[in-house]
Amino acid sequence: MTWLVIALLAGGVAAQRLAGMFLGGALIARVPVFARLASLIPAAVVGAVIAQLTLGAGSTLVIDERVAGMAAAGFLVWKRAPVVVTIVAAAVVTATLRAVFGA
Amino acid sequence: MEAGKSTAHPGWSVLGGIALTFFALGVTVNVLVLDRVGSELKTVVAAIVVNSATSELAYLAVRDAGGSVIAALIAGWVVASRFGLLAASLGGRIRVGAVHRAVAGLQSFDPNVGVAVQQASPRDVIRVFWMVTFAMHAGWWSGTFAGVFLGNVIGDVDRLGLDAVFPALLLAIIGNLLRQRAGMVAGLVGAGLCLVLIPIAPAGLPIIVSLIGAVVALRVAPPTQEGATT
Repeated sequence: MTWLVIALLAGGVAAQRLAGMFLGGALIARVPVFARLASLIPAAVVGAVIAQLTLGAGSTLVIDERVAGMAAAGFLVWKRAPVVVTIVAAAVVTATLRAVFGA
Repeated sequence: MEAGKSTAHPGWSVLGGIALTFFALGVTVNVLVLDRVGSELKTVVAAIVVNSATSELAYLAVRDAGGSVIAALIAGWVVASRFGLLAASLGGRIRVGAVHRAVAGLQSFDPNVGVAVQQASPRDVIRVFWMVTFAMHAGWWSGTFAGVFLGNVIGDVDRLGLDAVFPALLLAIIGNLLRQRAGMVAGLVGAGLCLVLIPIAPAGLPIIVSLIGAVVALRVAPPTQEGATT
């Protein structure tokens, strides 16, 4: 991650926040579907990122210990467990299976 | 929207819980970022100026998969789209000057906007917004520095299962969205498209194409009265 990338990432995120603060109200009033679409984009994109991080290995798909860790995390998110508990459980399950099966 | 507005301010237990959660996020995210970036200074500066853990993680996920910088930047930007919506939600409830409005907009996150807009008066909205923002930043900053310190002593993050922490953290972040039918449809379609495309498309592209999941969810799930979510 270069300094330019950090600046561009920061600039893009800040621009969206400022646009929302100063222009968002009028845009949502004129195009109500915009608000709904914007609220769903994180679920779609983050869902994809999660899938890639859980099953992806370069340009192939693999099933390994990460899947068990994410299954534990999914259960705990469903049960509304605290974030700390969720992420610790994912790490412990993954690391334990790796240690046991020697991956 | 006006009905049921609360004048109750968040108590210390709520603020402490928010601070503790953001401390945990700060530690986790920055251990992972440091592992990939390799520079303490860049890790801390990115945490402060990007001001969006999800964006940093999405950028790094695409780069980890071999995607281009442009594809990774687009992924980082699009996952931040909800912050614009949150800022718009806050903007409609406060009566402050342009500079104050801009600074508040730049600090718009799910918890502070979510708690603030439940207040009855514009004055209470902005006051509670800054109370929660302070708690969040106290946790995030201390967690960031702790994460950078821990990142240097942990060593092999995969051996400790920390590669599973990355997606687990993202799942926890969007957990509330996935509880709604539309959010669940968007997440499943986005994830499914990504998995289908990983073996055949250039790295990074599957993440960008997953945007279609939001459009499909719009068509499949009926709109609700409240519209915007957290």
